[in-house]
Amino acid sequence: MNLWITLFVIAVTIFSYWFSRRLNRRNPTSPLTNVVFLSTTIIILILLASGLTFEDYTPGKNIMTFLLGPATVALAVPLHKNVQILKRYLVPILSGILLGVLSTLISVAALAKLLGLDQVITLSMLPKSVTVPIAVEITRIVGGDPALTAAFVVATGTGGSMIAFWLLDRLKIQNPICRGLAIGTTAHGQGTAIAIQEGELPGAMAGIAMALTAVFTSFLAPFLIPFLLIIF
Amino acid sequence: MRWLKIVLQIAFLWLLFMVGDLVVSLLHIPVPGNVFGMLLLFGLLTFNIIPLKWVEEGAGLLLKHMAFFFIPIAVGLMVWGDLFLAQGIQLLTVVMIGAVVTILTTAYTVLFLAKKYDKKEGERA
Repeated sequence: MNLWITLFVIAVTIFSYWFSRRLNRRNPTSPLTNVVFLSTTIIILILLASGLTFEDYTPGKNIMTFLLGPATVALAVPLHKNVQILKRYLVPILSGILLGVLSTLISVAALAKLLGLDQVITLSMLPKSVTVPIAVEITRIVGGDPALTAAFVVATGTGGSMIAFWLLDRLKIQNPICRGLAIGTTAHGQGTAIAIQEGELPGAMAGIAMALTAVFTSFLAPFLIPFLLIIF
Repeated sequence: MRWLKIVLQIAFLWLLFMVGDLVVSLLHIPVPGNVFGMLLLFGLLTFNIIPLKWVEEGAGLLLKHMAFFFIPIAVGLMVWGDLFLAQGIQLLTVVMIGAVVTILTTAYTVLFLAKKYDKKEGERA
């Protein structure tokens, strides 16, 4: 391990984050100024230009993601502050997340079939709206490739959090409960990180959506996925 | 002093995360340790076992920069460059259309049911 490389990639990551946040604040509604998308693009380009690989980046990555666990735990705070809303709209909230999970599984299976994708790729893609550790477990159960699944989870998190609020703006859906749940069900933690920038209530809703999407998908996927592969 | 407080609060959140991880792996619960830790803290706050001020500032700082923690993870996508070059259009189509379907399904379900709910409450009042 090279200490200088690690310090370099951490500096590059922090710089890219700072730069992306500035651009995002200037133009917050464009999908292209999504902080994770923009920073990641800049970092990959810098790594490629300096001849570094992902292996060189990994020690720095492990240091920088150390606080992701506690940050997820911290989502309990906005959730606690909005507990009255959670109680009042419990049925709409649960229904929205459950139907969202079903729609993910069905649409991905149908689209993959339509485009003639390889079955291992399809299986690895199905749990894409769940946080990585759970998605990897599900993919093992149904017979997908864990590394590929992790890549699809991140791609969905990035793509989903780029377009969710942009799309809801186009449809004039401004209800914060609705926005938080939609981005959390689609884009798990990455969507939640974007939702919390919009406000405490959407952040809280995205957090609960992320948690329940993980639970619903892990119960439904092992039964539903073999069935979906037969009908499509 | 303020920074010391924030550091201690983050250390406490980290402790809850470790407890969550431990419980999940011991009981084989189908949620990740950090999500279980979140539900644990939510329970502790809601049942007034710990006061909000124990965690509020540390949590606020972590949540403000939550997106940062996903950046190094997303950089991992560079490993899949070849696959995306070979089948990029198809894969991207499935990922993006799948995301749009999920966003619309959840958004309209919640919107529709929440409206119905509010109407019912209105009639009762």
